[in-house]
Amino acid sequence: MAGIQPGQRLAEVTASRTQRVEAQCYSAHSAPPLGSLVRIGSPPIYAVVLDIRHEPLDPTRPLAPRGADAETEDELYAANPQLSAILTTRFTAVIVGYRDGAGVRAGLPSLPPDLHSFVFLCEASDLAGFGDNLGWLRLLLEERSAASDAAIANLLRQAAGGRTDPRKFLLEAGKALATELSGEPHRMRALLREVAA
Amino acid sequence: MTLADGAGSNGFSAAGPRRLGQVVGGSLSRGLDVRLDASDGQTEDVAVGSFVTIQGRRQRYFAVVTDLELCAVDDSVRHFPPAFSQGGSTGDGFAAEVIAGTVAYGQLSVMPGMAVSMSGLPGAVAEQAKTIPEHFAPVYAASQTDIDAVFRAREGDFALGSPQGMESSLVRLDLSALANRSVGVFGASGTGKTFLARMLLAGLVKQSHAVSLVFDMESEYGWQGQDNDRSRQVKGLKQLFPAKVVTFTLDEESSRRRGATPDGVVKIGYDEVEPADIEVLRDSLNLSEVAAATAWNVARHYKEHWLREFMGLGAADVGELAQEIGVNLSALQTLHRRLLSWERFGFLAEQGQGNATAGGIIEQLERGNHVVLEFGQYGRNTAAYVLVSNLLTRRIHETWVRRKELADGGQGQEPRPLVIFIEEAHKFLTPGIASQTIFGTIARELRKYNVTLMIVDQRPSGIDSEVMSQLGTRLSCALNDDRDMNAVLMGARDVGQLRNVLARLDSKQQALVFGHAVPMPVVVRPRDYDEAFYADMGAPAGTPVGASLAEADADRLQREIDELFPPE
Repeated sequence: MAGIQPGQRLAEVTASRTQRVEAQCYSAHSAPPLGSLVRIGSPPIYAVVLDIRHEPLDPTRPLAPRGADAETEDELYAANPQLSAILTTRFTAVIVGYRDGAGVRAGLPSLPPDLHSFVFLCEASDLAGFGDNLGWLRLLLEERSAASDAAIANLLRQAAGGRTDPRKFLLEAGKALATELSGEPHRMRALLREVAA
Repeated sequence: MTLADGAGSNGFSAAGPRRLGQVVGGSLSRGLDVRLDASDGQTEDVAVGSFVTIQGRRQRYFAVVTDLELCAVDDSVRHFPPAFSQGGSTGDGFAAEVIAGTVAYGQLSVMPGMAVSMSGLPGAVAEQAKTIPEHFAPVYAASQTDIDAVFRAREGDFALGSPQGMESSLVRLDLSALANRSVGVFGASGTGKTFLARMLLAGLVKQSHAVSLVFDMESEYGWQGQDNDRSRQVKGLKQLFPAKVVTFTLDEESSRRRGATPDGVVKIGYDEVEPADIEVLRDSLNLSEVAAATAWNVARHYKEHWLREFMGLGAADVGELAQEIGVNLSALQTLHRRLLSWERFGFLAEQGQGNATAGGIIEQLERGNHVVLEFGQYGRNTAAYVLVSNLLTRRIHETWVRRKELADGGQGQEPRPLVIFIEEAHKFLTPGIASQTIFGTIARELRKYNVTLMIVDQRPSGIDSEVMSQLGTRLSCALNDDRDMNAVLMGARDVGQLRNVLARLDSKQQALVFGHAVPMPVVVRPRDYDEAFYADMGAPAGTPVGASLAEADADRLQREIDELFPPE
C-alpha cells in the first residue's frame, strides 16, 4: 500500500448504509491505512478507514497454504500467479462528513454513497477541513473498539502534521476528546496516550 | 455607576477585561460557582478576596472571590493522576495538559455583592444584588472602572486604601455611615490595626461629621505614634490637626518627656470611683465575684469617701470592718489588697476636680474638637485604663443622654455625634461584664443618643457576642485564632464565605472591611501612613514628626521600670 498517493483512486463501494461503507480495493494488499480519511463519490462523502480485511474473493473458497516449497513469500506469489485474481482487500469506513454547497460538514449525509462509487485517498486540503471542525470525533467514538480509537489517533496525528503548530492542534483535539469521554476515563487516557505517541 | 463609554453590546470594550470563566451554579445565599475557562494556572492568578464582575443579561454584578477549588468530572483523576498512572511519560504529560481545564478544572466561589442595571440609562447606580445572573454568564476580572463604580467617590468619603491586587483603585469609606453605628477594628498584634484605627480617626477628624474621644492606652494616637516595622515616628492626630484635636493626659510627665504639650491634665478623685467601677474591673484586678461585690457593702458603710477610707485601713482594721458590715473576711482582704495597688495611680487625687474633669472634655467635644486622652505610664495598667475610661465615659454619656432628651423635647440642640474610641475592648466588654459597663450600654443603644463606639481589639472572641453583633462596620486585619475569626463575623451576612477570606489575609497591611461604611465586603490594603497621607489630611507639608526617637525610647524605658519596680 506504500504506493498509494493522496488523491489516488483505490477502491469502489460494494455496500453502504447510513453510517458505514464497505469498499473493495482494486488490487489485493493495497488498502489505505487504518484511520485514513477517504473521499467517496460526488458530491463527496468522507469516511475514515476502520476495518481492513485481506481475504479470498470468493468467501466459499477458503485459502490453503501454498508455500511449503518456497524460500520467500515473493517466490510463493511468483509461483502462483492466479493468486492476484482470487485474492482481494476489503475495508469498512465510517462516514464522518460530507460536502454540500456550504462546504465540508462533519456529520452524516442524508443518503449513503451509491454502490460502485469511487473511493479516493484524501488530500491534505480535505484533512485540513476536518482538523478545523472536530464534530466528527463523536461519530468515531461511538464505534467503541480498539480499531476505532487507533483510527482516531492516526487521523488526528495526520491532521496535525499539516498544521503550523501541530502540538496546539493536538491539545485542542485532545480537549475535545476529553470532554466527550469524561464518563470513560480509562478509555480517554489510553486514547490520549495514542494521540501523543 | 455609569456604563463605560464606548462599551460594546455586551457592556465591555473590545480590549475588555480579562475573562475568567462562566457561572455554572450556586445561589444568592451560598454564592455562585464559576468554572474557570483555562487551565493555564488561572487558579494561581485569582486570589481570595479579589473582585470579579459577572455579565448578566440585564444586570452586571460585582462579586468577591471567597474560595477556590479544584474540581474533576470524574474521580479517576483523583485516584490516577496523569503523572502517576501507568504508561509512557510523554503520553501522560500530554494527557495532563489535556485533562487540566476539561475533565479537571478550577472553580471559583464568588459572592455577589452589588449589581448595576444594564438598561443603558446614564448614571445607573450600583445597588445591593438581590438577584443572580443566569447560567453560563461570563465572569471577568474586575477593572478599575468597576471598582470605582462600586466604591464611587461621594462627598465626605474617605479613601482607606486599595482593593486586593488593584493598587491603582481606591476603596472609599462612607464616614457618616461609619460614625452612625459602632465600629470594630480587629487584628492580631503586629497586623497594623493601630495604623488602620489611626487612619480612621484621622478621617473622622478631617470630615468633622462626628467628634471623637480617644482613650489612648499606649499614647499612640494623640501626639505621635511609633512605626515599629520601620523604626520611625509617625504623626499623631494632634500633629495632623493641631486646631481640631485637644489632648489630655493622665501622666503629665510622660507627655512632656515625649515632647507633647497636653492641653489638660486629668485627675480623678477617689470619691468619684463607684462600686460599679470595681465590678467592671473584676477581671483586671483578678477579683472573685464575691470580693468585687463587697465593694458595695464598703461603699454603703463609708458613704461618699468610701474608697479613700477603705484604702487607708490597716490589715487589722479590715478584719474589724468585715465583722462590722458582715462580709466574708478573705473576700474583703483580697479587695483591700488589690485596691492598695492603686496608691501608685498618680491621677487619683484626694480631691478630684469633680465634674470638671469630664466637664473639660465635654466642653471640648461640644466645641467640635476631638479629644485624645493619653494614659502615659498608666496605659500599661489595664485596671487604670478600664477605670478611667469607664468612669469618664459614664459621665460623658450621661451628658449626651440629657442633651439628646432635651433636644427631643424641643429644648436645645442635638448633641454632636460622638465616637468613643477604646482599645483592649475585651477588658470592658467580656460577656460577664458587658451588661454592666457603660460601653456595653452604648453598644446596645446603637446611636439613640448620638454616641457610638470604635473598639480596637486583638481578641474579639473575648467580647460579648451581643456587642459584636451590634457593630455596624468591622475592619479586621489577620487573626490567628479560629474563635477570634468567628467572633469578628458574628451576626454578619455571608459568614461562611467571608470566613475564608478572613482566614487568608496577609499578616500585614491587609484588612477585610464589611458593614455599613462599605457597599460590599472588600479586602483592602490600607494606604501608607506617610507624607502623602498627611498632605491629604491637610497637614502642612514638612512639619517635623515631633520628638526624637531617643526621647520616646526613654519614655518607654521609664514606663517599664515603673512597671517592674512600682514606686512606693
